[in-house]
Amino acid sequence: MNVVALLAADPLLDGELRWTPLLIVVLKVLVIFVLGLVGTMFMVWFERKVVAGMQNRIGPNKAGPFGILQTLADGTKLFFKEIMNPARSDPWVFRLAPFLAFVPAFLVWSVIPLGGDFTEGRDGTVTWFGQVTRVQLADPPVGILLVLAMSSIAVYGIMLAGWASGSKYPLLGSVRASAQMISYEAALGLSLAAVLLSAGTLSTAGIVAGQNSLSNWNLVATGFVPFFVFLVAVTAELNRPPFDLVEAEQELVGGFHTEYSGIPFALFYLAEFMNTITMSAIVVTLFLGGPQPITIGETTLSIGFIPGALEGTLWFVLKLLAFLYAFVWFRATLPRLRYDQLMDLGWKFMIPISLGWFLLLAAIRTGDANQWNPVVVVVSSLVLLGLGYLLFVAALRVSARNREREGAMF
Amino acid sequence: MTVTVAAVLAADGINIAKNVGFGIIAFGMVFAALCVVSTRNIVHAALWLVVVLGGVAAQYILAGAEFVAVSQVLVYIGAVMVLFLFGIMLTRAKIGSDEGMFNDGWALGIPVAALLFGLLGWVIIDYAGDDVIANQTPTPTVMLSDAYLGPFLIPFLALTFVLLAAAIGAIVIARKD
Amino acid sequence: MSQYLPIVVLMVLAITFGVLSFAAAKLLAPSRPSTAKSAPYECGIVPTREPPQRFPVSFYIVAMLFIMFDIEIVFLYPYAVDRGALGAYGFWAIFGFSVVFFLTFVYEVARGGLDWGPIVRDRDLTADAAMVSPERTATSTVRRVGTEGRVPENAA
Repeated sequence: MNVVALLAADPLLDGELRWTPLLIVVLKVLVIFVLGLVGTMFMVWFERKVVAGMQNRIGPNKAGPFGILQTLADGTKLFFKEIMNPARSDPWVFRLAPFLAFVPAFLVWSVIPLGGDFTEGRDGTVTWFGQVTRVQLADPPVGILLVLAMSSIAVYGIMLAGWASGSKYPLLGSVRASAQMISYEAALGLSLAAVLLSAGTLSTAGIVAGQNSLSNWNLVATGFVPFFVFLVAVTAELNRPPFDLVEAEQELVGGFHTEYSGIPFALFYLAEFMNTITMSAIVVTLFLGGPQPITIGETTLSIGFIPGALEGTLWFVLKLLAFLYAFVWFRATLPRLRYDQLMDLGWKFMIPISLGWFLLLAAIRTGDANQWNPVVVVVSSLVLLGLGYLLFVAALRVSARNREREGAMF
Repeated sequence: MTVTVAAVLAADGINIAKNVGFGIIAFGMVFAALCVVSTRNIVHAALWLVVVLGGVAAQYILAGAEFVAVSQVLVYIGAVMVLFLFGIMLTRAKIGSDEGMFNDGWALGIPVAALLFGLLGWVIIDYAGDDVIANQTPTPTVMLSDAYLGPFLIPFLALTFVLLAAAIGAIVIARKD
Repeated sequence: MSQYLPIVVLMVLAITFGVLSFAAAKLLAPSRPSTAKSAPYECGIVPTREPPQRFPVSFYIVAMLFIMFDIEIVFLYPYAVDRGALGAYGFWAIFGFSVVFFLTFVYEVARGGLDWGPIVRDRDLTADAAMVSPERTATSTVRRVGTEGRVPENAA
């Protein structure tokens, strides 16, 4: 575990800053920035094309081959559209809100391991211009928590956009959204705790380094439940279908961005799709080993003709695409939840489950380390969890009965 | 001249870049704090308070307390201020200036604030004196868990009862729709 | 601290991008504001009501609960990272913490703090006998709507 903890810093930035590392930093920042924008463009196209396919339509097919330049055309158009100032809006906050939405979206990129050389048991560092570095912008020791911090700042973007518009639909959408986002942030945080239990570090590079074979992938090591909780919580955090009550078109017009037009609207749109990519990347990093190749037992699935440093990126992109496709698939398939169902799923199902699972994992691991009898550990944990479950069901009964006493039909 | 000052400071173990950063952030925080009390719009006041809290987080990072900085963002900006904003929206959140934000006795606050500032300043100078933060390396997160699951276990467990009291309070006050 | 330098650089770049986009739109986009355009959007209907001033108190309770969970989570992380070194003792401490916390949560649920939606009441139809009487005709029951601003008050 100490080895992993020592990795928690990009070797590039240790010690004094010199010109070459500084140049690499600037280069990395520019690459990430361009990658973010191009990736978002691709994602918008991908989503439209895949949803079109699932609905038996053609989708964008005019701008560029397969319509791939459609987003670029749309974005360019938005530069020529009037920026409207609603009469009842709060001008400053109305302008500030798009920034609060898309700047955090960009910043999440900085802690995602985008690649690296993991062939023959290497630790994922690469050498550029004689400098040893990681294929990620920064690797602070609290890396993964920065993602949580950014998503708690992104709540402000949506909340303030709705409030500052001075119009009823945006306000309704944003209050819903902020309550939804904070609720699922709790589930997100609790399932992340289970990952940290097996990773033993907060640094994203460290979390990736620990998952060097299929059985060490946190997906397996944490027993699948945190993965599913995390995936659902991420979908809700992104306000993507089936949790898109924020912009439920049928009832709220466009939700929090109803009053936005032109470039401010484009920035919200950018943030939304960029968040989809970055959050999928976070899922890959946390549960599927990020840029690590797939290793089963002793054999590593290696892509032969590609140099080691590029292979990591390739694996990362492959895993990422699977989740991007899954998010689009959710959108095309699942009907939207009702608000009370949404909150019940978050608070009364996912949060208790992930808390219970965390304690179960902690008990099993502590038992392992202290040579407790595994059967006793598992049985007594299950008994305790069962007791907790019964207590929780009793609480639900009590609240339902109180509602009925007040005259509710259900 | 400047070179020699820098050399002297460096010899004392003072990191110049960090001190400049501290100064800039502190100035921003003071400005934001003044805006909190002087703006006439209650939502703007809450947002300026967010800026102040963000500044605190940045100072923690400069001091090498990274986990505390992230906790500051998660708990204060991500949760407490959201609660504030919900509270404001529950009662009144008119767009535009809100009259009645200043009560008649506002000038009384100035001496109280000055007194508090003096007291805090005195406490800090009395405690730290000319000390310099010795290690420039960040504090590992594990040191935190060693502390609150070790010598500070009793306060840590007492905290759960504070949370319990807060939950009961919230539900008792809020339940009467 | 130098680990945070690239993040700050990226932040500055992102903000610059946003500001430049705004500036470009200022130059390229038309600006022809009108009263109708800047009115709050209500699907074409002239807005007659203020946006809601107050929200259900349930949102407040959710935010309050979230603070509790955030504090719990912040304490779980250092334990999770350092579990190996803390051993059985650390586990029991965190276990006790979580049990009290869970009981708080159960209390909150039992008191209905997380119930959503209005209470749908059973309506007694005998009280509404007039609503189902044969005397009702289109002229006696249909209220004319959408005349606000078109028909003078006294004409109605």
